[in-house]
Amino acid sequence: MSTTTGSGSLASALEAQRERLLPCVHCGFCLPACPTYNRLGDEADSPRGRLHLMQAVVDGRLDAGSDAFHTHIDRCLGCRACEPVCPSGVEYGTLLELARETATRARPQGKLTRALLAVMGSPALRAVFFLGGRTLRSLGVARLAVRLIPAGARLGGIRLAFAMLASSSPPGRRLQKAPVNAVPSRAIGAVAVADDDSVGPVPRGSRGRVAYLEGCVQRGLFERINQATVRTLEANGYEVVPVAHQGCCGALHAHGGDLRNARRLAGANILVFEGVEIDYVAVNAAGCGAAMKDYGTLFESNQEMSTRAEAFAAKVRDVTELLSQAGPRRGAPVSCSVAYDHPCHLLHAQGVAQEPLDVLRAVPGIDVRLIDRADECCGGAGIYGITHPELGGRIGRDKVAAILREEADHACTPNPGCMMQIGAGLLLEGSSDVAVHPIELLDESYRRAGYYSATGDSQ
Amino acid sequence: MTRPLAPDVVRGLTEIVGAANVITDPDRLLVYESDGLSAYRVSPRAVVLPGTSDEVAAVVTLLHLEGIEIVPRGAGTGLSGGALPTPDGVVVGTARMNRIIEIDPENRLARVQPGVINARLTEATQPYGLFYAPDPSSQSTCTLGGNVAENSGGPHCLKYGVTSRYVTGLTVVLAGGRIVKLGGAGRDSAGGLDLVGLFVGSEGCFGIATEIEVRLLPIAEGVRTLLGIFETMEAAGHAVTEIMGSGLLPAAVEIIDRATIEAVEASIFAAGYPTDAGAALVVEFDGTEAGLDLGADRAEKCCFEAGAREVRRATSEAERAALWKGRKKAFGAMGRIAPDLLVQDATVPRTKLPEVLARIAEIGERYDLKIANVFHAGDGNLHPNILFDRKNAEELDRVERASTEIMHLCVDAGGTITGEHGVGIDKRGYMSLVHNETELEMLRSVRAVFDPDRLFNRGKVLPDPLAET
Repeated sequence: MSTTTGSGSLASALEAQRERLLPCVHCGFCLPACPTYNRLGDEADSPRGRLHLMQAVVDGRLDAGSDAFHTHIDRCLGCRACEPVCPSGVEYGTLLELARETATRARPQGKLTRALLAVMGSPALRAVFFLGGRTLRSLGVARLAVRLIPAGARLGGIRLAFAMLASSSPPGRRLQKAPVNAVPSRAIGAVAVADDDSVGPVPRGSRGRVAYLEGCVQRGLFERINQATVRTLEANGYEVVPVAHQGCCGALHAHGGDLRNARRLAGANILVFEGVEIDYVAVNAAGCGAAMKDYGTLFESNQEMSTRAEAFAAKVRDVTELLSQAGPRRGAPVSCSVAYDHPCHLLHAQGVAQEPLDVLRAVPGIDVRLIDRADECCGGAGIYGITHPELGGRIGRDKVAAILREEADHACTPNPGCMMQIGAGLLLEGSSDVAVHPIELLDESYRRAGYYSATGDSQ
Repeated sequence: MTRPLAPDVVRGLTEIVGAANVITDPDRLLVYESDGLSAYRVSPRAVVLPGTSDEVAAVVTLLHLEGIEIVPRGAGTGLSGGALPTPDGVVVGTARMNRIIEIDPENRLARVQPGVINARLTEATQPYGLFYAPDPSSQSTCTLGGNVAENSGGPHCLKYGVTSRYVTGLTVVLAGGRIVKLGGAGRDSAGGLDLVGLFVGSEGCFGIATEIEVRLLPIAEGVRTLLGIFETMEAAGHAVTEIMGSGLLPAAVEIIDRATIEAVEASIFAAGYPTDAGAALVVEFDGTEAGLDLGADRAEKCCFEAGAREVRRATSEAERAALWKGRKKAFGAMGRIAPDLLVQDATVPRTKLPEVLARIAEIGERYDLKIANVFHAGDGNLHPNILFDRKNAEELDRVERASTEIMHLCVDAGGTITGEHGVGIDKRGYMSLVHNETELEMLRSVRAVFDPDRLFNRGKVLPDPLAET
């Protein structure tokens, strides 16, 4: 299976994808959409350049183990901002995963990447890893480490990792203390939200049965978002069905090119979710949702599994899609302003732009400010910030600057990965704020409205 | 094949721009082997990405001393191979020089670095009620430096004119690293001969513009966009003749043929063009509100008289944007039909459009090639897109022969070999169709004024008798 020289067998994964590469006509429309090209100016760090390198490997003109292929394929954020601007409809995300598989078979990934993927792929290691993380977080060690470790290239990655951990803390009192008096809501584009409550209480289950992905990082560090997912869905008429023994969705593995383990993890989850009768699978992390909606492609070479994968993928929705579809029901005022940023794996990979804003719009008193270049990646990109601290840090600082310019009470984005990257960026800039998920705000709004009083409030 | 640069040259370049901005690894250089015209492939010896005017000057000085050819490159979206590397050359890219230096709304001027993307300038000037008029179809990605080199046009150049009309000043690095300032402060020429006009459209053969001053225009008060649907290309061509002959001055008149409609409608930029139509005609009027409806009504009448099946009018900015997106992304969308395409670019007198289009279709049939047409009909600027697969060598040969025949056809009809894409490498062989030896000698002499040693973009544009073939 693993060969070390020659590109013939190594290129096979890409060879099979020749068809997918054909539509690229080298027009270059993707260049300005690419965060790495915009900052480095090297076309090898643009989508067109990377596709050209993939094509060269397929054609046998470039060794899959070469520095060029390894470096530039690895340096891609995987944000897929190039897809919506491509007139030819090149499936860049899928091609990137295949290219990464080819590249890593020719030349193993860095130790850090491999270690992180191994941890995510194993329930036991994951449990220990996140327990450690939560302990360091709650003892304040993470925040302290950020202050004590000097900024600089040598320890930059470790400092960022601690900052990310610290930034996964709940917004806590800051959010709960937001004023209750309802100043008029402002949505994007300064359109005032109607004050009438058109969506009233709905009997639980009337909108369908929903299972939700507990997730690795979500379960490990953002249990509060999982709880908010359950509560807000139930308050909007969904019946949430627990699914035991579920595991990692394999998104990090797929995006990293470890397609074998991605299929193993995805297959296991498909099996477990097939065991319950549900209409939807809700996801509150954009990267996971994007990967799960694409399970059909992941298993395309396996006829039996691909049918099952497609059936599963058809049920996957971002939690904000389900809430938006239901109205969503309006809660009580939470007067605050938020600087909103789009997660790439929602906006570009899933085409979900409006639904998270609909969720925010259901919170009276909220002032949503779309930040400048909200469609550009924050540099988090899974584990990119840790594996590429320099470039990821640069992209992250631009994002944080755009957020700070809005002078809002909270940074807000519907994806834990982006929340940590942005939160870490804020922390490193000396701000004590953390980023919040839109459903956390909706959850707070519902808590104040008393929608949970019958079932109790676990906050 | 490509000779690597001597280590001391690489060291010299690295000292100027930093190691990250000098690319010498042959694997990485593969990415630069084509521009938007991917039928040609040549790897350069190196790529250098300077960040400032001074860095460009230092890089050019060093390369000049070594006698190394220089190929300027913007976003690499050109369609005549103008930024195609030469085997002995070093590519100097302007991608990192992407800053808008100044917007001066009172004088309606902007100063930019060459790597600024065309559309970004209009985005940045919009808050002042201003825009930058030349709008190549690649405006979302092409750069102003490249626009200056190619004297780029675009759909709205029918009314507004091409790049040369808007460039009022240039800072240029010449061979040997000399820096000169041409024009400036809103004047095309600082006195004397119009050197700015000479430089615009020089296709990278004169030097590298490192700072560009352009004129901005106030955004029109209103706009009307029509879509005419025709059963045949010929009928659409007649409508264009009618509209232009009636004394109207539309901002743009564009024709999209059936093959292009199919490609666009299959893409995410689907504009709602009917896929069973023979041709679609986009006509746009802009200006002060008064009179716009009148112009649109008259154009509509012309369309119906030429046999239009249907004429639609965009009723919202979103509808208008969708109509244009379909047109502007047409080139990229061709990737859905074939892996490679050769976009031709030629002009013919407007009245010859129907006849020339029929002959192009006939050429396509004879060579068994799919040719999709999408073009600026108002000024007779044709863009036949020949679709092919480079891996089929026999087909590639037919593409070349058909392409040559189309070029001869246009010249014979009283047209010329390029409307806006430039000559680059692709049209070099056709120069003698439109210029006699005396004229070519004049062009060479003009070039020698800027670059006596012919180091900038050698082998492009001019069929250089001394250059290797």
